[in-house]
Amino acid sequence: MIEFLAAAIRIATPLALAALGGILSERAGVFAVGLEGMMLAGAFAAAIGAWATSEPIAGLLLAPLGGGVIGLAVAIVAVRFRADNMVTGLAVNVLALGLTSYLMRILASGGRPVSMRLPLLTALPIPALSDLPVIGPLLFAQPPLTYLTALGCLLMTLFLNRTQAGLTLRATGENPEAVFASGGHPARVRMLAVIACGAVAGLGGAVLTLQQVGTFTDGMTGGRGYMALAALIVGRWTPWGAAAACLVFGAAEAFELRLQSFGVPVSSYVVQMAPYLIALTVLAGLGQSSKLPAAIGQPLPSTR
Amino acid sequence: MTLKVSHRWGGSLAASLFASLFQAAPPAAAEEKAAMLLPGSINDQSWNALGYSILLALKPHGFTTAYTENVADSDEAEALRGYATQGYNIVMGHSGRFVSAMEQVAPDFPKTQFIAVSGNEGAAPNVMSIDWNNAQFGCQLGVLAARMSKSKMVAGVYGLEGVPNITAQAGGFRICATKAGAKVSILYVKDMEDSAAAKEAALSLIAQGADVITGKLNAAEAGLVQAAKEKHVYVTGRGVDQTKMAPDAVLTNIVEDWPAMFGKTADEVKAGKLFGNFVQYGYDTAPVTGGSLVYDADKPFNPVVPAAVVKELDDMAGQFKAGTLKVEPTREDARGGS
Repeated sequence: MIEFLAAAIRIATPLALAALGGILSERAGVFAVGLEGMMLAGAFAAAIGAWATSEPIAGLLLAPLGGGVIGLAVAIVAVRFRADNMVTGLAVNVLALGLTSYLMRILASGGRPVSMRLPLLTALPIPALSDLPVIGPLLFAQPPLTYLTALGCLLMTLFLNRTQAGLTLRATGENPEAVFASGGHPARVRMLAVIACGAVAGLGGAVLTLQQVGTFTDGMTGGRGYMALAALIVGRWTPWGAAAACLVFGAAEAFELRLQSFGVPVSSYVVQMAPYLIALTVLAGLGQSSKLPAAIGQPLPSTR
Repeated sequence: MTLKVSHRWGGSLAASLFASLFQAAPPAAAEEKAAMLLPGSINDQSWNALGYSILLALKPHGFTTAYTENVADSDEAEALRGYATQGYNIVMGHSGRFVSAMEQVAPDFPKTQFIAVSGNEGAAPNVMSIDWNNAQFGCQLGVLAARMSKSKMVAGVYGLEGVPNITAQAGGFRICATKAGAKVSILYVKDMEDSAAAKEAALSLIAQGADVITGKLNAAEAGLVQAAKEKHVYVTGRGVDQTKMAPDAVLTNIVEDWPAMFGKTADEVKAGKLFGNFVQYGYDTAPVTGGSLVYDADKPFNPVVPAAVVKELDDMAGQFKAGTLKVEPTREDARGGS
């Protein structure tokens, strides 16, 4: 059971970080369809940093930069030039896939594909707490990015609900006119929010390269950005809600693997659909009750 | 599932964007030309990188080469046709799934040899499949795993349930590991390239008591090795690189020798011969066996493997060669679960 929950947490961590980033973007009024590309760019930058220096910390520092670059691209195209959010997001996902693949190739000297072996971030047990039965090893002996995810939920909640900047961000997503009228700069807020979204989602990608796999391969995010997007909607655009949704998805995926081991007489292809069916069911169940930020996806008037 | 779609999209866009940079220069007329279509990208450090190495290996045989990456299922026929129209003598598809598109296109290009890498059927006169005997090697890994396991529980992680060469390797593994006295558990993951997901699958098997892990995945194989390394259990890999990743955990790798499998065929095609069959290499087709067990440059197995076990595995190879030992796995042998 502990093992199962540990697996759910591991699977949920990259999703949750990406979802946290996505909340910033969507609460400010820009659909976070580009999460997949931001994660991938972050995973790539993290791999490059850790590979070049043999220090996973360097990767950790580069990851937000990688994701942030994709965020910047979305910010410029979708906010500054007021392009459609959905199309922009999908386009940067394709861009990130092509770009990371291309850059990997540049690294390959003499046409030989590069083989990367990265040092992984190791678990940091918290003294005393990690000795607690059951929850000790489960919650207090995690690698750094997992702690950061939990901390991120807390900080993001405080930021959105308790700070002036958070209020302005939310207002920009609900009613940018009002922000403008009270002397704010909705366009600037949105751009910053989208770039920050990229940086945080980039860390989500770094979980894959620095904490789980230790290498970068093309398209390695494998759709996790879309799962994160679903999670933040299921979680009603709140950090804890999104994190909980990610845990549900993580648990579903962990359960799917264990279900197969029991030898259920069903094709593995059917069992593998389980996490996605759960996501769809939950989304359908929420239906209209999940209220979007009012001004999401609406371009700002060009003067603002 | 959105993921594969997006991957393909990105892939084909990237491919067309960068194709000009990476494809060989257009060959001069009247040369021998070979082209390859790849389902993924050549820097996946795995299956598609292997495909690229096949193509490179044809150069010494006098072929000018070209390739296209990230070919989606729906584009296969068109891509095959494109190269055939340009007069390529050999057009290869780097996956068994290319066979049906080849059967469809081949009649229009009777002088072109179409080859499906790792397919399992041919179609006269000019569509052939080449593969290595997954069942033989899977069986050897099964015995190795059973002998090295302390818990007598061993496990495999595979993708693409039901694809013939997956069934052969997973089934061969189960048959022979079971015969050698171990309990076998098999898991299928949905993506041969997703290392993080494969690692989770391996971790779940290890948590259930398996202490030797095997598998046949592409880029995701690295996830199995990573899981074994962290949990201090044994694993088999797919390349010497994986030994370097975890020298203590990796017992051996199945290293596939596609250049050798292709070289002979390429020479014969150059001489004007066409093939319409399925050629399978194994211990029984020595000296070209299609694959071999390799730990590092000069050793077939990790030094922790006892000499008696090494001898047992060598004897098996001998029996496969002599034809006294045959493994023919079924879907049931390769089923998921234990």
